[in-house]
Amino acid sequence: MRRPVSAAYIGMAAMLIFNLAPFYWAISSSLKSNTEVVSFPATLWPRNLSFQAYREIWLNGGFPVYFANSLIVSLATAVLAASFAVLAGYGFSRFRFRFRTALMSIFLASQLIPSILLVLPYFKLLTIVGLYDTRIGLIAALTTMSHPFSVWMLAGYMDSVPIEIDQAAMIDGATRFRVLIHVVLPNAIPGIVATMTFAFLMSWGDLIWALCLITDETKITLTLGITRLVGEYRVEWAQIMAATVVAAIIPAGLYLFAQRYIVNSFVESAVRE
Amino acid sequence: MEAADTRGRGAMSTRPARSARQPTQLMSESTKGMLFVLPALALLVVVLGFPLIGAMLQSVNLMWVDHPHFSLVPFRTLARDPAFGHALLITFYYVVCSVAFHLVTGICVALPLNRDLPFKWVFRVAALLPWTMPDAVAGMVWRFMLDPLSGFINSLLLALHVIVQPIDWLGTPHSAFASVVISEGWRAYPFVMLLLLAGLQAIPRTQYEAAEIDGANRWQCFIHVTLPNLRTMLVIALVLDTISQCRVFGLIYTLTNGGPGDATTVLPILTYQENFQFFNTAYAAAMALTLAAITFIVSLPYLRLTMRQRA
Repeated sequence: MRRPVSAAYIGMAAMLIFNLAPFYWAISSSLKSNTEVVSFPATLWPRNLSFQAYREIWLNGGFPVYFANSLIVSLATAVLAASFAVLAGYGFSRFRFRFRTALMSIFLASQLIPSILLVLPYFKLLTIVGLYDTRIGLIAALTTMSHPFSVWMLAGYMDSVPIEIDQAAMIDGATRFRVLIHVVLPNAIPGIVATMTFAFLMSWGDLIWALCLITDETKITLTLGITRLVGEYRVEWAQIMAATVVAAIIPAGLYLFAQRYIVNSFVESAVRE
Repeated sequence: MEAADTRGRGAMSTRPARSARQPTQLMSESTKGMLFVLPALALLVVVLGFPLIGAMLQSVNLMWVDHPHFSLVPFRTLARDPAFGHALLITFYYVVCSVAFHLVTGICVALPLNRDLPFKWVFRVAALLPWTMPDAVAGMVWRFMLDPLSGFINSLLLALHVIVQPIDWLGTPHSAFASVVISEGWRAYPFVMLLLLAGLQAIPRTQYEAAEIDGANRWQCFIHVTLPNLRTMLVIALVLDTISQCRVFGLIYTLTNGGPGDATTVLPILTYQENFQFFNTAYAAAMALTLAAITFIVSLPYLRLTMRQRA
């Protein structure tokens, strides 16, 4: 297929503009002063660069707390989801047992249940066990929502780790658990990085669970905090855009770092072939 | 089944049984396999299973109501509730428009990305970037992009003399609906594009060469080689995207919160309002169950396809 390259470049240029414009707008608005950001017509680039918005969100208000909460909740979710998924992925990949296929379908189908259905009764259950409005309740929910996909992804990844190395270790007398920790795990690092990234991104971006489970100002997460920055009478757009830039930089950076791993794993687990 | 022969696929199954490998086994290999899966399963049952059953019981008034009794009133009310009917219709329009937007944009971006352009990696990285932005955050950014006075869109259109006075995009039902579709489209199309790109990469180059020898032009190549090869991937992308769009919440919550009026009130937004603003919990559960049932029916072809390939 020798097609003219120029058509492809025009397409790519259009894609770049469409994809990057909102990032550009968020960054440039966050660097404007409170008065310039609401001027009409809007300036495409700040006349005077000002870091006032960033200073304000970091020094006044709950933003640092929201940020820390999001970080705690997302890291905990990533570690927990990956741990559960490593065990289950190993079980599904290396063993044949009764109900194996049925269990795998349950894991697959559970991803299809909309959060809005689960969050309402989960909220009641948490109230009963006294975990409503706690980070633990939120972490448990997010771990559960992200681990079925992680299990599916890691089982697939472990299938690609040759079983011969398990067998060699077992002949040397290693137990199954030791085989998992010392032999399979080191070979499944890319899959684990991908699942952890996925679980982190999912909980970092969550709104609905935090919205329904958290009310305490000291426990709310970043996405929820951003929705609360919109005041009833005044909207401080420079500060909101500064907050969105911070909230977007973490997952974008993580994606750039783990790009190689997640892109392949993601496609492969969505499409088993 | 020989449990020790763990993979049981292809070349693996032809290996000799290794049952004599570990003479002092406390439990069978099959039990061990289940033990590895158990923690994840327990989590699934406790945090997902209980609420699911809870929602079912709640929707027929058997739980979390003053006088538990079986009643289908919530579901009967659903059938007659104009707000629910409207939300169902909005959700339907929204899903159709969004998924179409994602597929068309996805294929338009995937085709050039599949070629060996210089700086290909820059384009690939940029192509997926919107997908990393949390949907609630994207909703907020787009809300300010679409701001009538100090937003990016109006400033740009005014500067280019496309419009003569600012437009309140989120203020009228039709433009608000279009804004939601485009904003969520911006964020979600990269995922569809990624799936389609993987599909394109799997098409053997020889098929295109054969078509060119037969004198096919670019359009004919696309219709007769690309599309048929891409069929499975298109179905997967269509189903996965439909499922995720049926449950759109964060972006609409921050962009329009269902407004103006109820112009962008999709089912998840209405369910949330029923539960947390009007406290009709049984009714909200019935609504959410209906949404889940619709999602499940849509996803059946995907489930069947995936399980067949995996098992």
